[in-house]
Order: sequence, then C-alpha cells, then structure tokens
Amino acid sequence: MPLAEKLHFFVDLSRCIGCQSCIQACTECDTHKGQSMIQLDFVDRANSTQTAPVVCMHCESPTCAEVCPADAIKRTEDGIVQTARKPRCISCNNCVLACPFGVPKMNTEMNLMMKCDMCYDRTSVGLKPMCASVCPSQALAFTTLDEMARLRPNAKPVNTFKFGAQTIHTRVKVMVPADAPKETVDVTAAMYERTIGHDILDDVFGEGPVFGEEEA
Amino acid sequence: MTETATPPVPGLDLKMIREFGPFRAYATDARVDTGVEPDRTVKTHCCFCGQQCGVQLKVKDNSVIGIEPWYEFPFNRGMLCPKGVKRYLQQGHPDRLVHAYEKDATNPAGFRALPYADAIARVAEAIERIQTEHGPDAFAVLSGASLTTEKTYLMGKFAHMCLRTANIDYNGRLCMVSAGAGNKKAFGVDRAANPWNDILGAEVILVTGANVAECAPITTNYLWQAREHGAKIIVVDPRITPLARTCDLFMPIKPGRDAALFSGLLHLMIENDWLDHDFIEQHTVGFERVAEEVRKWNPRRTAEVTGIAEKSIRQAAEWWGPAKTSFLMHARGIEHHSHGVQNVLSTINIVLASGRIGRPNCGYATITGQANGQGGREHGQKCDQLPGGRDLANPDHRAHVAGVWGMDPDELPQPGVDAYEIIRKADAGEIKGLLSICFNPVVSLPDNNFVRKALEKLDFFVAIDFFLSETARYADVVLPGSLQEEDEGTVTQVEGRIVRINKAVDPPGEARQDWRVIQDIAKALGREKGLTFASPGEMFEELRAASKGGVCDYSGVTYERIEENFGVFWPCPDETPPGAPELGPQGTPRLFEPGSWNPVAKGAGPFYFPDGKARFNPTPYEGPAEDVDSDYPIILTTGRVVSQFLSGNQTRRIGPLVDHYPEPKCEMHPRLAARLGIADADWVTVESRRGTCTVRASVVKTIRPDTVFLPYHWGGRKSANQLTIAAQDPISKIPEYKVCAVRVTKAEAPPDYAAVLEPQQ
Amino acid sequence: MSREVIRSAAWGLGTTATLAVLILLGSRNLAHFDAALVAYTFSILFATFGLTYRYAMWLSRPPTAMYWRRGWQAFFRRGWRLRNARFWLSRMSLDVVANRFIFKRDRLRGLTHMLIMWGCILAVAITFPLVFGWLHFRPVAGDLSLYEAVVFGFPAFRFPHDSAAAFFLFHGLVWASFLVIAGVMLAVRRRLRDEGAAAVQRFVEDFLPLFLLFAVSLTGLMLTASYTWMKGYGFTFIAILHAATVIATFLWLPFGKFFHIFQRPAQLGVGFYKDVGRSEEKAHCRRCGHAFTSKMHVLDLISVEKELGYRYELEGEAEHYQWICPPCRRASFAMAQGLAWQVHRGGASPPSDQPIPMPIHVNPGVGEGPLGDEDAENFHP
Repeated sequence: MPLAEKLHFFVDLSRCIGCQSCIQACTECDTHKGQSMIQLDFVDRANSTQTAPVVCMHCESPTCAEVCPADAIKRTEDGIVQTARKPRCISCNNCVLACPFGVPKMNTEMNLMMKCDMCYDRTSVGLKPMCASVCPSQALAFTTLDEMARLRPNAKPVNTFKFGAQTIHTRVKVMVPADAPKETVDVTAAMYERTIGHDILDDVFGEGPVFGEEEA
Repeated sequence: MTETATPPVPGLDLKMIREFGPFRAYATDARVDTGVEPDRTVKTHCCFCGQQCGVQLKVKDNSVIGIEPWYEFPFNRGMLCPKGVKRYLQQGHPDRLVHAYEKDATNPAGFRALPYADAIARVAEAIERIQTEHGPDAFAVLSGASLTTEKTYLMGKFAHMCLRTANIDYNGRLCMVSAGAGNKKAFGVDRAANPWNDILGAEVILVTGANVAECAPITTNYLWQAREHGAKIIVVDPRITPLARTCDLFMPIKPGRDAALFSGLLHLMIENDWLDHDFIEQHTVGFERVAEEVRKWNPRRTAEVTGIAEKSIRQAAEWWGPAKTSFLMHARGIEHHSHGVQNVLSTINIVLASGRIGRPNCGYATITGQANGQGGREHGQKCDQLPGGRDLANPDHRAHVAGVWGMDPDELPQPGVDAYEIIRKADAGEIKGLLSICFNPVVSLPDNNFVRKALEKLDFFVAIDFFLSETARYADVVLPGSLQEEDEGTVTQVEGRIVRINKAVDPPGEARQDWRVIQDIAKALGREKGLTFASPGEMFEELRAASKGGVCDYSGVTYERIEENFGVFWPCPDETPPGAPELGPQGTPRLFEPGSWNPVAKGAGPFYFPDGKARFNPTPYEGPAEDVDSDYPIILTTGRVVSQFLSGNQTRRIGPLVDHYPEPKCEMHPRLAARLGIADADWVTVESRRGTCTVRASVVKTIRPDTVFLPYHWGGRKSANQLTIAAQDPISKIPEYKVCAVRVTKAEAPPDYAAVLEPQQ
Repeated sequence: MSREVIRSAAWGLGTTATLAVLILLGSRNLAHFDAALVAYTFSILFATFGLTYRYAMWLSRPPTAMYWRRGWQAFFRRGWRLRNARFWLSRMSLDVVANRFIFKRDRLRGLTHMLIMWGCILAVAITFPLVFGWLHFRPVAGDLSLYEAVVFGFPAFRFPHDSAAAFFLFHGLVWASFLVIAGVMLAVRRRLRDEGAAAVQRFVEDFLPLFLLFAVSLTGLMLTASYTWMKGYGFTFIAILHAATVIATFLWLPFGKFFHIFQRPAQLGVGFYKDVGRSEEKAHCRRCGHAFTSKMHVLDLISVEKELGYRYELEGEAEHYQWICPPCRRASFAMAQGLAWQVHRGGASPPSDQPIPMPIHVNPGVGEGPLGDEDAENFHP
C-alpha cells in the first residue's frame, strides 16, 4: 500500500532537545531492527546543547540514487526514497558522501548502505513513523498539512533547499516562520554558523570575581 | 575479564557485581526477529517518571518483546522518551532476581539462594525478635513512590497496622516533599493545580529548577506547542538545558538562591502594580506581610544574590507581571534545598499575586519525579500520614482510618521520622531492623558513605527488589519482588490523573508481586489481619473507602471509570456533596476553580482551608546550608540525564540507555576549567567535606562558571551523592542535593575502578 | 538512438555472435549438438544479448563508468598488482563464494542465498555445456561398462556407468534442484513472515524470481521422476513445461532481480578503489577541517555530479559542497533552519571568528550511532 498523499513528515530542527528517543525508537523499526537510521549530532557541544536531528528528506530527484553506480536506490511512486536494495548495493559510499543532507549510513560488514525509509513498514499501512510517534519535542512530526497549520499557525512548511547553485525539492518538509521572506531554506548560506543558543555569560550578574576567582 | 586478571580493588564488591550485575541487556531473539507476531499488546504506562506516558507493551510467550506507541492516550499521544522506548529490556533481564537470597560470607558473591518460604520465615522471625526485644519502632520500613498506589497503601497499612511501627517513610522524601509541604501551606492541598492542557494556551510560562527536556521530556511538546501560539518561555536554571537553549528568556541562577529571585519578581510586580487586587482580596490572606518582606528585594539586590543580570530580572517581571494567562512549573531544582519549602512558597506567591490560577490556561504545578510521585505521597506511607492525604496526628483522621481497617485508633502509632532520620537512627542503634522496597538509598541519599555505614550496623535488613540494587547488597535477606509490568494497579501522574497499570507478564521463578511478598511476611508473623487481599482491585476498593472524605478523595474512582476516560483526576468523591457542582467523568482536572467545592472549605471558597482562601507565606531568604569558601570554592549541583532514571537500578541495566550516556561526567565552564588546568575528557577529582569522586570532565559553556554539575544515577565510586550534604529542609526534610561546596582538581591517574568496572557498574 | 544505445547494442551483438561461434566450434559444427535443446540455446543467446546490452548501458551511467574505470585502474596499479591479486582471491572467496556479507546481515539469509546460488551455479555448469554441445557422453567402444565424457570435442575422462560417481554426475541437476528448492522455501518463508520485508517487497521484483526458480527446479525433478519411476508418463508434456520455465527465466535475466548476479562483482572493484583511497591524500572538510574520505573520492564525485547535471558549486573558499563532510552538512542544515527562527525564538548565533568545531554524533553506540568502522569514519568520532 502506498503512503497516503495527504500525510507529511515535518521537521523543526530547532525544537530538538537531543533526547535520543528517535534513535531508540528507530532501532525498533522492522525494516532495520537493531540499527538506527536517525542522524543526531551535537552541533557544537562545547558551546551549546544544540542537536541536529536529521532524517531522510526524500528528495524528488535524489542525489544519492543518481550517484549510485549500482542502481541500488529506488524512489517509489509515493515519493519515498527507499534504502539501498540489498542485492545491488556494493557499499561504495558514494551516496553517503553525496547526500546533501548527510543522511545515509554505511554498514561495511554487511556491504550495505542503510538509510531512513520513513518507516515504510508503518507509513504504508497508515501508522506514523516510529521517530515522529515518540519524539517528545515533536521536532519530528507526521501528520496532515491542515493539522500542522492548526497546531503551528505561525509556522509554514517549506520543502525547497539551496546548496550553492543547486536547488533540491523534498517530500519531507521543514518548518520556518510563517513570515519568512522566502520559500527556500539556503543551507550553504548558513554553513559557517556554529550554533544557536543563549550564552550564559550574557545573563549572569557581574563578571570575574563572581565566579570564585578571587580565591585563585 | 577473568578473575585472576582482576586485582581486587578496595571497597568494590567485584565478585558480587560479577554475579548480580548491573549488566547491560540488549534486544535478542524474539525481540529482534521481525517475523515474530506478538500474542497481544497490553495498554499500560511507562514504569519510570511521573508523567506516566501511555504505552502498549508487545507480549509474546510471557515476555515483553517491544513497545508500540499508544496514540489514543491523551497526555502523550504516542510520544515517549528513550527510557520509555527501551523499558521493555528490563523484563527477562539476566540480572533479574528469581530466587530469594540470604547473606553468606562464605560465598564469593556474598549471597546464597534459599527457598522463598524459608526466606519469609527468616524475615518474620527477625522482625518478631527485634520488636520483642527493642519495641515495635525498632523495626523501620522504607518504601517508594514508584510502587502503584495500591501497594503504597498496603505499605502504610503494613507498617501502621501489622508492624505497629511509627517508622515508615518513603523515597518521595528525596523528591516531592518540599513541593507537597509548600502546596499544603499555600493551597491546603498537594497536587498540580492544572492539567497539562492548560499549558497550551498560556501567554507566559515560567519554568524554574526543572530540566524539562531531560527529566520530563514529554512536557517539552506542551511548552513548544504553547510557543507556537505566541507564549513566552522563561527558564531559570544554573545550566543551559536543552529547553533553555532557545527559550525566550534564560535566567542562569546561582544554585540555592531561588527564593531571592521570586521575592525580587514580586517586588517588581508590586512596584509596577502588576497585581490582581480583586483576587488577592477575595481569595487570599497574608499578602501584606509578604509585600513587606519583599520590599528589600529590589532588582539590584536580587541580581547580586541570585547572580542573574538585572536586565533579565526586569524582563521576566515585565512578561510575567501583566500577562493575562500564565503557567508556572518547577521541579527538584528549587525543591532539593535546605529551604526548599521557602523556594516553593516564593513561586506560589507570584502566582497568587497574579491571580492566575484556577482558570483555563492559568496554572501552577510541580513536576513529579517518580512514576507515582503523586499517588505515592497520598495514602499513608509518609511518616506522618494516613490514606486520603489524612494526618496521622489528627484524632478524627485516625478514627476514620482505624474504622476502615477495623482496629482501635489508639493502636495506631504516632507519626514517625523521615527517611534520612531513619538512617540516622539506624546509625545510632535506635533502629535495629529495616525493610526496604523500591528504594536505593545507598545511591540516592546524600552523604551516602554515611548511609552505607548505618546499614551495616543494622541487626537485620531485608530488601525486596527485582534486581540486586546497590542497597540490597547490604541486606541480610533479599526477597524477589515484581517489575511494574508484572503487576497491576493504579498510579497518579503529574497532573493528578489516576491511570491504570495493566499486567503484561508473570513474575519469573520464585519472584512474586510485591504485595504478595508483604502479605506473606504478615502471615508468617501471624499478624495477617487486614492484609489478606487477593488482588490489587480489592486493595483499591478499600483505599476508596479509606480516602473517602479526605483531601485526596478517591471514593468515586473505579478501574472501569479510569479506563473509560483515559484517567480520572482526584478529588473524585463517589457522591456529590450538598452544594457542590457535579463533577464530570474525569473527576477534577483543574483545582481551585471559582465555585468549586472541597471537603475543607465546604463551599466557602476554592482553596483547601476552612475559609476557602489561599495563603501568602513570607519567604525570608536564607543561603544554602554549605556555601563556598576558600577551601571548597566551587558550587556542586546534581541532577539527571535523559537516558537514566534515579538510582539507575533499572536503567543502568538497559544496554541502549547505557550507550547513550555511559558514565557520569563533571560539567564545568571553560573559564573554570582553564583556571583549574583541566581539558575536556580529563579525569577530575571532585571533593567535598564528605567524600570524593573521580570522573571525566565535560568542559562546556552551558553551565555557570562558578558551578559544576554531576548526574547522580551511578553507585559506588561514581556516585555523586558521596559528595552531597545531608542538610535537610526543616519542614519537608528534603535533603539539599542541589548545592554543596566542593573543590575540583585534575586527577593524576584514572581512578582504580576504571580498569575493572563496566560503565554502568 | 543515443550513442550509448548503439554502443551497447553493438556490444550485445558482439558477445552473442562470439557465443554462437563458440557453440559451433565446441559442438564440432553442431555434430554433437542436441537438436532437442535448440530452444534453450536460442533463449540463452537472446539472454546474452540482453545482458550485455544492459550491462553496457549500465556502465555508461556516469557513476558506474567512473567506478568501472577507477576500479580497473586501482586493480592494475603499478606495484600493487601482486597484492591486488591476493586480495582479489581472498575477497572473491569470502564475499562471492562464501557470501560472508550476507551471513552478516542474517545467518538464515546467508544460508538461503548460499543454497540458491550454489544450486544455480551447479545447474548452469551442467546444462550450458550440454545445451551448447560442448559436453556429451558416449559409451566407450570395446568396454561397454565405461562412459567417456567429451568436452569441446575432445575426449576428457572415462568412468564406469554403474559407479557412484556416474550416479552423482548424471543426477547433478537433481541435486541442484534440491538446493534451489530448499533455498526458495527459506526465502519465501522470510518474505511471508518478516514484517520488514513485507513492507518493501514487490511481486515482480521479489516473488517472481523465486517462483521461476521453483518452477524450473520442480519441473526438472518431475522429468527425473517421470522417467525413473513412472515409465516416462507425461514426459513430453513435462519436458515442454520445463523448457518453458527455463526459457522464461533466461529471458527474465537481464531485466529483474537476477541482474544483480552480473552487477555484484563490481563490489570487488569498489574494494580496490577504497584501498587506493585509504593510501592516498585525505579530503578535509572545508567547514570543520576534519579528514573524512579520500581526496580522490571527492574529486571523482564532483565530476560525476557535474556530468549528472548537479550544481553543488559554492562561492568562496569551499568551492564545492562535496568538500563538506556529512556531519557538517547536517549541522549546516540545522543552522539554516534555526537561523530562520532566530528573531522568533530565544538565543543568538555567536560570532564565528573561531574555527568551527566538528559536529559529534550524540550516541557512539554501534547501531545507535555509526553502523561500523567505515561509518564511524564518515561520522569522524
């Protein structure tokens, strides 16, 4: 059964609290049990608790599939870019290095690239993906456009991304402010930013001796 | 590692650890076989924190093989934190106790198995002997708030009616008591005032002393959801927690200064007349005294004491003061203090002054810690309490409960002492025997080197547990109890919502449900009267009667009503009192609504005092019991990480959760680290007047530069509570986990445990 | 018609013609050719054309062409040839012969594949030479108890016709059928019960090949049963049925799942390419500065992406997005989305005058974080 057209995966990375529920739930998925397909990084742990939860964005013309020398990556009619077909994948690492979002994982022992397939075992029978089901911050959410508009009236979903001169459209949508000027997220324009968050020194009272340095 | 290769490390029970764990379990067999269909799924709740997320357990051949989100349960709608996702790995665990054990010095592992019946007989004989020789109070009971409400009720009854000991207390003493005492002083009732849905429409949300993202992860979505509709989120915390990172206003408070901050905020509210005068006049008493008290807390002074920039304090007041709706929530961060009750009251003061309570989207709540942190503090396992939130010292209350129990009220003991005092009395030799269940004080109590010594002095110590916890290692007899999924009952979660725990599997081997173990002991003592329940359902029926007419009235709650309505909120009397409005099927989701009825005010007003009015309480600021000085110049604060739960007895046995955050790390600001010559991942020794602990450093800018942080989930040498101070709040008796003075040095070598212990051990 | 199509068709015709010539030679101008098997011969010839055509088309795709070229270059690299030959042997035996990587996925799956693969190889090794007339058996003149095998027209060896060896040899296809049927049973079982497989499998792609293999094996066994125990009952009909299933399988070879048999050896080329990459200069991420793969691989991908029409070129020092490591791509994505919310949500982006740190996966546990050593390198822990 194909994935229902009205159902969408929404990502709001800045909601993420790094709790790893998605990772743990992902390992419960039947298509890759025991192995998580979620990419979750500390962007800059020394400076901030910011974490980046990344699932497959399911590109309309997937770079991973195009650079695959073995024709191992297929996009189904419902827009889901499936994980590598096991008989074909020759574990060359091309997709891992070429994916503009940094999604695929490489299981060298199995000679197999593995990636998020939006829990096809669940979504194809009308259930939510595991990660979006459990996500306590709903940084990862799976619902209809109408429901999303009702829940987050000041945000809008965007599915166009820029990487240098390249534009990529995806099945998965990210949430940006409703008043954002563009319908495009320019990823490489933000490439040299480190992190976002409060700096504790901005908000503490006084400087220097406050921190017990007078005893030093 | 073979035994010959392992040199003995002084003070480490290596052989016991090798025998009983903690070891890590990962999914194997049916749990990874994608071709296995579960026999059934059981709708129940998570076994860990107080939010009690609904979850379905997949059961195959008496084994829990996985989880499936329970989308219909309204509180979490399928959401789970990583602990909830992996909790199923605690069932069928290789470390699971399937026999009773007794201490055996000749056995290298320290224990030998014995038949369950023999173990019960040994326990009964020891209780009888100790109570005959030293009086009934010489045998104490320590219980816990992760038990179902039925079991906590039974524990109170067991102590008060069967053992006749005054000395029963519970691990909520380390958790909920400051909030409870504060709430009772201000509102006359101890429960979150609002259901979590009220968060969604609040304009301003103030979160203080609560690492929501890690300790109550599901609440994150409520907060973010409110922000989607324009709410401002203010977070008060010494660390930039994941929630604080993008909150609208972050206030990096110096640990232990909370009452000063809220006095400062009230000062600004009064100065700018951001007050609800009508509400204050009609529904509260004591405002003038509090106004007088906060007069001296001008922003400058507040900033100096709290360590928060003045501009932030003013900003917080500007948002909080004139808001139309708001929600204030706090947790252990302001409660784990030697003046925890004052801190709680100081937050309630700014809620009452705003008048924003008892209405939709206007709320106040403490976030409960344990599964049954709410229900577990209501029905008689607290040292001064009887079921229904009644007082053990109140003659009317004693008479009511004694009536339900069929005993003479005079036979009920008088109030006993708190959990830490029980340990002190054990150390002093006044308490000779102890039964503990659902409590791991060797990890969880402060200054736990002292706790260990006290336990060693006991004549007889029996622990009921499903794994050999660090505390059970000191027991003379260990009885194998039950996991949450092996029993049924109810718990009352963070909102005051009573939910159903359903049994998924049977206890393995000779293990059995905790309530059966307790009743078996009572029977072996020949004092089984009143402890002959055949099921948790029977206990619940009696609990309904015992709580009837009390503040925590469960008399209208039935298992069916809970299941039909996705939970019932107490108070929920079985018949509508005269003059009271009819309750809906869910009971009382929101407290203090205008026109509401309660058994104390009896219609005089919405609050639980005879005049129906809430109380303002002056909260004079006092510093922490142990402040920094030149010998111990750094503040230590302790807390949790998202992948572990409390003393870690369960979560340190779940492999994927251990992988997530394997060992405790000492968080410190790079400025402090630079001064101490410490780099990220260096071994550092943290030392207080009570103990030392060597762990790796995590050098991060997300903590105040005058403070270091340690998570407390590990035992032995890795335990943060070797350092913490046993100073207690005078009212609530909660220990001061959140502030003590330490010094930190770079360790010259890795600690001796590093070579022989796995991370979780 | 595009150049690729013409070239691929030419390759197809060439290999088909070569095979035809070999058949003529090996059967001594069809002298030993069994006319009854002519349908098989033609279906194989057609399959040869189809396979070569598809293989050539496949090789003309930019990434495949690149790997094909680079794989051979790596294999024949000066000073590495002896080593490569050794590695070829070990990888060939471990991965191709012993299916090690499939056993790593799941032991039962490894066994399944092993049974089907060796069953098919055995069957092909027996039938193709017979069909092409390259192999036939004849009684030895003068000693009627002996048979002689003739290979490519040359007498090869003799054996007693009532020996155990003869029994095993003449029933080779029976043994092959047993292997294949057992393998197919296991494969179907997995596809019927495994929830993960159920989600992604397709009839044409996943079940049809299993049915074909099963039909070929079963009808083959029926032939044996018919002439061994049933006095040839229904032999002609079964023979036609068997031929039909075999021919269908051959015709299906170039199109469906079976094509992986011809693609899979590319894995060996990838191995040599990675060996070279490891010994050469590393690529350093132009965001965090950390090494993440070989410079060769990045340059090759840049040229492949250009050929495919992607425009991942960047302005400034980074030059091309391919110089950014996967973790930094994820971090950049998070930053771009986070910045969009900056005025709406709290927190600021600190000035980035210091070097940008390397993003770190939150969970180092194998399976939860990286899936193995190579993945860990991609994550650069």
